[in-house]
Amino acid sequence: MGDAIDIRGVRKTFGSKVAVAGLDLVIPEGSLYAFIGPNGAGKTTTIRMIMSIIFPDAGELTVLGRRSAVESKDRIGYLPEERGLYRKMRVGGFLNFMGRLKGIDAGALDRAVREWLGRVGLGDVYGKKCEELSKGMQQKVQFISAVIHKPDLIILDEPFSGLDPVNRRLLRQLIEEEHAAGRTVIFSTHAMFEAEQLCDRVFMIHKGEKVLDDPLSTVWERYDPRTIVVEPAGHLSGVDLAPLQRLAGVERVDRGGTGIEVTVREGADQSEVLGEVARAVRAVKVELKRPSLEDIFIQLVGEDAEPADREAAGQGSGVGAGAERSVSVG
Amino acid sequence: MGKTLIIAWREFIATIATKGFVLGIVLPPVLIAGVMVLMPRLMSKAAPKIEGEIVVIDRSGRVGERMKQSFTPEAIAASMAAAAVRQGAVPDGGAGLPPVDAASGVTMRLLDPGSDVDAERSKVLVATGGGKGGGADSRLAVVVIPADVVEAGAGAAGGGGTPAVVEVLHAPKLDFRWIEHINRAVGRAVVDTRLSEGGLDAAKIRGLMAPPMMQALAVTKEGDVRTNEATKLLLPGAFMLLLWISVFTAGQYLLTSTIEEKSSRVMEVILSAASPMQVLSGKIVGQAAVGMLILGSYAAAGLAGLVSYSMLGLIDPTNLVYLVVYFLIAFASIACLFAAVGSAVSDMREAQSLIGPLMIVVMIPMMLWFPILHNPNSVFAQVCSFVPPISPFIMVLRLAGSEPVPVWQIPASMIFGVVTVVVLAWAAAKIFRIGILMYGKPPDFRTLIKWVRMA
Repeated sequence: MGDAIDIRGVRKTFGSKVAVAGLDLVIPEGSLYAFIGPNGAGKTTTIRMIMSIIFPDAGELTVLGRRSAVESKDRIGYLPEERGLYRKMRVGGFLNFMGRLKGIDAGALDRAVREWLGRVGLGDVYGKKCEELSKGMQQKVQFISAVIHKPDLIILDEPFSGLDPVNRRLLRQLIEEEHAAGRTVIFSTHAMFEAEQLCDRVFMIHKGEKVLDDPLSTVWERYDPRTIVVEPAGHLSGVDLAPLQRLAGVERVDRGGTGIEVTVREGADQSEVLGEVARAVRAVKVELKRPSLEDIFIQLVGEDAEPADREAAGQGSGVGAGAERSVSVG
Repeated sequence: MGKTLIIAWREFIATIATKGFVLGIVLPPVLIAGVMVLMPRLMSKAAPKIEGEIVVIDRSGRVGERMKQSFTPEAIAASMAAAAVRQGAVPDGGAGLPPVDAASGVTMRLLDPGSDVDAERSKVLVATGGGKGGGADSRLAVVVIPADVVEAGAGAAGGGGTPAVVEVLHAPKLDFRWIEHINRAVGRAVVDTRLSEGGLDAAKIRGLMAPPMMQALAVTKEGDVRTNEATKLLLPGAFMLLLWISVFTAGQYLLTSTIEEKSSRVMEVILSAASPMQVLSGKIVGQAAVGMLILGSYAAAGLAGLVSYSMLGLIDPTNLVYLVVYFLIAFASIACLFAAVGSAVSDMREAQSLIGPLMIVVMIPMMLWFPILHNPNSVFAQVCSFVPPISPFIMVLRLAGSEPVPVWQIPASMIFGVVTVVVLAWAAAKIFRIGILMYGKPPDFRTLIKWVRMA
């Protein structure tokens, strides 16, 4: 397996603003890569440079082995951040048009369009005008236009924004299917919990600079879980925190909204501390909580993260979508 | 090339397959053509077939009998045919006129010289239909010839004195051609009477005095064609107007669609599948086809009209070829400018501020149509023939005019036009590439120039 994308020292500025600063990034073929970072971090600019929609001021970039995505556009599927359809065009006509632009044979194209529409639950909108569709439907139509030609590389810029939970799940499933079919998938999001759920590799960017670029498994290894969450058997307010604070290996104990968070001291064995905590309080659940990408982002950018960044990074986290990766210990 | 054509086809279909285009652009020339083809066939070339009588009260008692010669069916038909030829309603020879018996429903009756005019006049008033054919006894007109009609105004030296007034009291709706016929009949009878009473042979003199019929014919490859001044002036103007309408209508569509694609963000989707140059060229080719359709529709309407009036020979087929060539040059130039502006702005209001100065320049051919046409080889006209982007419009105007354009200026202006298009396309591609994904404050001219230099 080679590399789908190879970026070396790429820099892009808009006037005095540095959008991307000396970026190095290698994306192996077949990976499912998440570009994460707050709004304005440089994700979309990077993606647009990959797509040769805009061009870097400096540095080199190869896409699917070519010097420019223009040379391999038919092998790339792209869902831009800004959603756009021809409002007056019919859905079937639009997808056929995009398919033809992507080089699909006209004979097989219409059948593929109808199949895809059925697959995403839009079988009855073929003859409707794009402007008649809801925003979520339009987004699904755009997703189809990005993948209908079975590209080797799929780039999705904020694919989940504006979707309801049901469609978000559907889209996740479709992305996983494309990845399972051996395609390289890159998606950007500022909602980091989406990345946690889906990707196998993560690239984090902040103010145009790369702050993280690793397989997710490596990230979890590197950022050991150091928070133990305790759900007490009785009322939270009735729990005495002093025994927990006295435990060796415990750095801090905080009372949260529904439980107690115990921060493990650096260097201490989390498993040992977990056992001691379980013995120290009567609890229905004690678990080791993995740091979220949001936590990692905050940790990486530290004081540099502006309130807006923090808000954006954490958008949607913990909303029942499985933002936390927990290790249940009983 | 494939993607360019796919984009061009979508652009073409998206533009023409709208009610607005069909109703506003295609239907008018079709209607115009229909009217121009049908009108000559619907229009009556002779006086309408009517029935009734014209009565004559000849106080002189010397003219009335002679008038009867003008009211035989053959005389009426010949008079009407001559009038139709004079008016240009039918070709020489009266082809297409109704047969002679079509005019045979009108009779002339000579009344007693002392008849009461008021009594006869009242019969005209009560005549059914006011002269529209209420029956053979309908009174169409009363002609009152004064007693001194032969002598008055006919001095021995060939004129002088006040001519007598012959009253023709006619039904209000009597066709003007019949009134003219009565006038001619009275005049001819009076003159003939004077000649006869002077001992001269009226028929012989009339024969001697009859001038030849004049006919101006333009010599064309298709044969000699009757012309008139109005046609000479209008035809070149029509050519230029045709070019102007097709170029700017399609150009406007290009501008609007570019702005719409940019503001609706669909452009980025398209750019993920095609390069900016493919998108730009596809849009220009698509709208060029739209312009050609408009040009073809209006040109076909015009040609149908000329065929209908047997004036097709006025069109030199070479001019039609020039029209297409200059259309392509003019449209490509304007399209590059409009596409560049469309890609740089976010709405029409912003576009107007950039296009306004350009529109003033391209209005020059419209404003100076007559001066250029009257003197198509003036220094001004020749200079304008090499000023982009108005050069194609001026050349079409000059080429369709009556004065020959120096031959070298035709290829020279075309080469100059193509070079202009290449330069504009180069600049437009650079602006398009940057502008199409640029949002926010609209650029000014300085910014556009900067984009051209930096891209």
